[in-house]
Amino acid sequence: MISHSSAAPEKRTEAPSFFSFFHPKKWFMAIGFLLVVLVFVVPVFRLVLLSVLEDGSWSAAHYSRILWEAATWTAVKNTLYAVAGSTVLSLALGVSMAWTMAYVNVRGKRWMQLFIFLPFIIPSYITTLAWIQFLGKSGPVFSLFGWAPNLYSMGGIIFLLGISHYPLVYLFTVDVFRKIPRELEEAAKTAGASRRHVLFKIVLPLALPGIAGGGLLAFLTNLDNFGIPAFLGIPANIRVLSTYIYEQIVGFGPSAFARAAVLSVLLGAIALAGTCVQGLLLKRSRVTETAPRDTLPRVYLTPIRQRMLEAGLWLFLALTSFVPFLVMGALSLIKAYGLPFRLENLSLKNYHYVFLEDAKTGSALWNSVSLAVLTMGICLVAGTALAYVRYRGGGLLPKWMELFVTIPYALPGTVLALCMIFAWMQPVPGWNPGLYGSVWILLIAYVTRFFVLQVRGSYTALLQVDPSMEEAARVSGAHGWVKWRRVLLPLLFPGLAGGALLVFLMVLTELTVSSLLWSTGSETIGVVIFNYEQAGYTTYSTAFASVLVLAILAGGLLFTAWGKWWERKVMKKQ
Amino acid sequence: MRNYLLPVLALAAFSAGCSQEALESSEAAGEEKKAGVSGTLSFYTSQPDEDAQALVTAFGEKYPEAKVETFRSGTEEVISKLQAEQQAGSVQADVLLVADAVTFESLKEEDMLLNYASPEAEHIPEDFVDPDGAYAGTKVMATGLVVNTKEESKMPTSWSVLTEEASKGKSIMPSPFYSGAAAYNLGVLTRQDDLGWDFYKNVKANGMGITKGNGGVLEAVASGEKTYGMVVDFVAARAKQEGSPVELVYPEEGVPVITEPIGIMKGTDNEETAKAFVDFVLSEEGQKLAAEIGYTPIREGIAAPEGLRTLDEMNILTAETSELLKAREEDKELFGGIFGQQ
Repeated sequence: MISHSSAAPEKRTEAPSFFSFFHPKKWFMAIGFLLVVLVFVVPVFRLVLLSVLEDGSWSAAHYSRILWEAATWTAVKNTLYAVAGSTVLSLALGVSMAWTMAYVNVRGKRWMQLFIFLPFIIPSYITTLAWIQFLGKSGPVFSLFGWAPNLYSMGGIIFLLGISHYPLVYLFTVDVFRKIPRELEEAAKTAGASRRHVLFKIVLPLALPGIAGGGLLAFLTNLDNFGIPAFLGIPANIRVLSTYIYEQIVGFGPSAFARAAVLSVLLGAIALAGTCVQGLLLKRSRVTETAPRDTLPRVYLTPIRQRMLEAGLWLFLALTSFVPFLVMGALSLIKAYGLPFRLENLSLKNYHYVFLEDAKTGSALWNSVSLAVLTMGICLVAGTALAYVRYRGGGLLPKWMELFVTIPYALPGTVLALCMIFAWMQPVPGWNPGLYGSVWILLIAYVTRFFVLQVRGSYTALLQVDPSMEEAARVSGAHGWVKWRRVLLPLLFPGLAGGALLVFLMVLTELTVSSLLWSTGSETIGVVIFNYEQAGYTTYSTAFASVLVLAILAGGLLFTAWGKWWERKVMKKQ
Repeated sequence: MRNYLLPVLALAAFSAGCSQEALESSEAAGEEKKAGVSGTLSFYTSQPDEDAQALVTAFGEKYPEAKVETFRSGTEEVISKLQAEQQAGSVQADVLLVADAVTFESLKEEDMLLNYASPEAEHIPEDFVDPDGAYAGTKVMATGLVVNTKEESKMPTSWSVLTEEASKGKSIMPSPFYSGAAAYNLGVLTRQDDLGWDFYKNVKANGMGITKGNGGVLEAVASGEKTYGMVVDFVAARAKQEGSPVELVYPEEGVPVITEPIGIMKGTDNEETAKAFVDFVLSEEGQKLAAEIGYTPIREGIAAPEGLRTLDEMNILTAETSELLKAREEDKELFGGIFGQQ
């Protein structure tokens, strides 16, 4: 209620500020739009072109053939079930986790926060493997209860997708919760609203930008995920669009690419529908007050309840984060796959091989970290710029740009990699600048794929800032860079950092796009893990992944400490 | 034994800031040089990385002027990449080495391969060499049975163990929708009189599980989740050597084999080096290297590594390659029908 009524007067001021801001900078916008089209639309366009051409002439034959096949619609139906179910699960877990971490007085939040991200970092085939062992016939659940749920099913796919991607929702929501002014809740309570009423009428509507943004990303990530539906769906004969597309591509036939292209268009349509739903949700919410982050708890529990909640949270984290990690660590110490976990079967030989004998792991680590930093930098600047333009509401163009940058993230990695080859091997027919076959194609591909993460992160952060803050800064004489450095950046920092962190982590462990685009000398972490795995060296890949996860955890600790310092030193100036 | 010296040296070279290339050329500088074999060669392969590296290193020692750049991925990914490059205007690969002959047959049909009758191919069984010289097999990989030795002590001798009542729900195989080798096996086995489609119907009725690839089959059997698996022989032999509780069995009815053929791409801009590379892989030296790494060599007169059989010790099941290519989609569809693909 609050958001609707108070949003009205703000709309009137929007029109003049839009013109005064964009009139001299119109050509900037045009250049930006052109760049977005070149980088994000042209590669995908080449793919769509394949779907409407047959023997060199226009034809809808591929569409009519595929749309008539029952298998297509089964795959679409399975995809919708899997994605809807897992997104709801991700939302439920992510929002309740974020609410608890933002408002309730539990101890050890910083630690919990670190572990929430683990399912996101651990390669998804490892998470899946861990859960299969955990719920398998020789696992603890089966020996305790004599029964365990079957993961090779639609339910299993939904469950694993949901718990792997709830951190996205969490990351986008937790800061939004902290910025909801505590006074609003108190006012409502004074006016006689029940706790439930406050939650559903005030807190959740105000947190909508975060929930919708995180929910959209979880939705897209569930949609393009290949690892989990492939691992669990193949034995159960469940096809989703991402695995069906892969089947087409590897089927080699003369029309393989065209068929894959048609199915990718279907997948893209689902992604766009999701984006539109999210846009509709956000249309009605706009914050009119800029509140500082409030990290103090708002709900105080009695000591007993507090302990119970803490125990529950740790149990949840143990199941979703520690179990896969422990299974991975245990596998990496075993001499040969299948031996029981006993002292005489343990050794460090896998670590020895991976880090001392294989020359590729060192360069892979270096390549992935540099690529991740570069991609993060580019996305942070350009993505925030796009989010800012979108936030200022500059007409239709920014909205289109936002849609365009979403598509590459929604397509399965294999398809995007093919698009990259189409577009960048010979950007102008007959001219090969040598990007393809070098490390730069990976950078371009990563920026194309993960750009939307930063845009969403920055946009969510901006939605938390009342436009009047910016106007006040301008009136007080702060222009351009000063306005950003003194006013906007300190307010936006946590949101921007969240988006950047996502981009960084995603690039660091990216697998499917890299496996088609790497070349000698530009191998990445994902490629090395993929190569071990394919050659049957599961123990090597787990050793490498374990060290990777430990390194990321250590990085997380440093980041947390730095965040603390930032809050103390920089936010205090406000 | 694998040669560990070079990777270690290479690592040292990396950390010292100089390139591996410099190291290789200085090491081999004393050897005789062959005119014409030089420049960069782009090599796309689906072999495990370590094996591809060993091959490239050995080739580099013989021809120090030539530099081989490797792209390694799964057969499916490598072929998609090639096809995409073809679509985009120019194929970048010079030499290709992937899992099976049917894949090469499809490239040959699309006129993407260069015909080259390597003199070394004379020592390779006729069945595994394309008559036009578009491709030639480089090693022998049979698909046999892998058995978990903790679950079952009596080793089976026949494929029929997969259809017996006692092994209900205990076996697993790779999916032909995802693994080229599995698709090949499907084509070959269903064209045998004593196996045929009935074999697949019966194993399905007996609760056969499917998974993405050969790696998944081995994991399931080694961990005891399943007892029997249909798997490529070298994967099982390697795991056994490392100490996993598995045993490899060649069923008496015979085994389908894939040959990891090698071929030269039509658009190559370094034909001479490409030919030298193919010759090297098929030569006695190259074949001994394959055996050292742990594969059954395809050339006559070279012994297989421990735990594997040589060609003349196996009973090989075959089918016409061009027919397999034509029927592949249909075979997969029939398979999908039997296995209840949704």
